This record gives sequence, structure tokens and C-alpha cells, in this order.
Amino acid sequence: MAEQASTPGGTQPPDQPAAPSDGGDRETAAHPAGSDPTRADLTDEQRREAFVRDAVPYLDALYSAAMRYTRNAADAEDLVQETFAKAFDKFHQFRQGTNLKAWLYRILTNTYINAYRKEQRRPEEVSADADEEFSLYDRVGSATHAPAEVEVLSHLTEDEVKQALADLPEQFRIAVYLADVEGFSYAEIAEIMDTPIGTVMSRLHRGRGALHRALYDLATRRGLVSAHDDDGGAVA
Amino acid sequence: MEHTCREILDSLRTYLDGEQPGDLDGVIAEHLEACPPCLERADFERELKALIARTCRDEAPPGLADSVIARLGRA
Repeated sequence: MAEQASTPGGTQPPDQPAAPSDGGDRETAAHPAGSDPTRADLTDEQRREAFVRDAVPYLDALYSAAMRYTRNAADAEDLVQETFAKAFDKFHQFRQGTNLKAWLYRILTNTYINAYRKEQRRPEEVSADADEEFSLYDRVGSATHAPAEVEVLSHLTEDEVKQALADLPEQFRIAVYLADVEGFSYAEIAEIMDTPIGTVMSRLHRGRGALHRALYDLATRRGLVSAHDDDGGAVA
Repeated sequence: MEHTCREILDSLRTYLDGEQPGDLDGVIAEHLEACPPCLERADFERELKALIARTCRDEAPPGLADSVIARLGRA
């Protein structure tokens, strides 16, 4: 399932938005099944079959995202369950021919953010401004003792990379995940996160800066790289 | 030359995301072909992106699909 990133998005007409933004899917409760006239001709069973055929194949992709968002397996399973339940209840709102994967991600992301905000009572944890211009490549390149830049990457384990992403503030973590792992376009990420494209670009920029710093700190702790004296700012 | 490299590197991640507008996209591609230091950095950024994409995936636990399907319309 790992190669799903390019499945439906590539074939959608260019004038269609990545995901329908018909307000209804922001916070509304579930609609009763079959209440929409456009799908009135489908029986409940047909609607269910279409959903299982078209939407459920994104299970692994959505679970990966849920793991990155919630950072633990039990919450990730709950989030995926809730996302599919909501998506099924709103399936009549989904416009055929638009990007189903992005639509599902939008529901997942919205569900996560709403639940998270309710529980944590802190809308944004943003603290990575100082890392904005941090470049792993530059730092490794200017270290007194280090292997070739790209070789450092080959020493990082899967768990270390996952942890570095998990440690990013929520909004940065989501943006970097959607761009680098799922390969969504900036416009699609803007739809999924319900935010302007400029905000997406800023979150990516800052999130990647913070990720680079985390990986550099990790490489230093592991002794792959010997830091130089000035450990403060970015290298110009 | 240095100035040009700086500009290219400032746009590099957007370029690797496939989000540079057409004219700039071509300028960056040409520059990378002609400039080994910038190309090396581009390869590094590409590899890091690929590393994140490779490692930050999980398969859903067995049984989750069945459990999702069983709950459809009954939430």
C-alpha cells in the first residue's frame, strides 16, 4: 500500500479543488445515510459497497498519518475508526471525480485537531522560530569531524527519524508529513489543514528547519558528527 | 555566481516539492546541472525527503479494516 501517494490525485481535473470545501464537513454531526438527493438512487447496501471499494483501501495511509498525529497506536486506531465512520456518514457529500484521498485526509486531520484541542486546551504549540534557517547539510558540512553529508543520513535508524518527526510541534508535524510522506501538493495541504497556502509554506519551512536541527542534534549525540564551537545560529 | 547559488538554494525545497512556477523551475534545473555544489545539496535534500517518506509509514494492525467496515453506518 506504500505506493498509494499518487493514486487518485493525478487524474483529477485541474479546476477541481483538492477536497470539497462545502463547509458542512468542518464540524457538523453525521448526516443520516441517504439524505442527499444526489445519492438517493443508491441503496444503503450499494453506498456501503462503494465506500468499502473506494475509501477503505486508504486504511494504511490514514493509519500512518494517525500514528504521526497522535504518536501512539491506541489513539491512532481510534482516530482512524472515527475518521471512516464520519467519512461514511458524509459520503453522499463527496463529489465523484475529486480527490477522495485528500477528502479523507481532511476529515482525519480535522477530527484530530478538534479532539486534540479539546483535550489539551492549547491551540498551537509553536516554538521553532529560531530553527527556521537551520540546515543539516550546512551544519554537517562545517563540522570539524564528520562523514560526507549524505552518509550521515544512512546512519539514522527508522525509529530515530520517526521520533524526530514526532517531536515537532503539531502544525509543523502535520505539514511535513503531508508533503514529504504523502506527497500532497501545497494546495491539497491547504485544503486538508483548512489554512491558506502561505501558512502551509511557512509551516513547512519552519517544520523542516526544526527537523533538521533535531537530526543534527541526534547525529551529534550519536557521535557521528563532532560539533564546532559556535552551536548557536544558522550558517549563512 | 555566489549570489545566484544563494537564490537557487533559497528556492530549493520548494523546487523539490514540485511547487516552483514553470519558468523558475527550468532555471533551477539548469543551474543544478551546471553547478556541482548546488546539485550535491539538492541530492542531499532529496535523500532526506525520501528517508522521511520511507521511514514514517506504518501498516494498519490486522483486524482494523474489518473493524472499520463493521462499524460503518452504525456509529
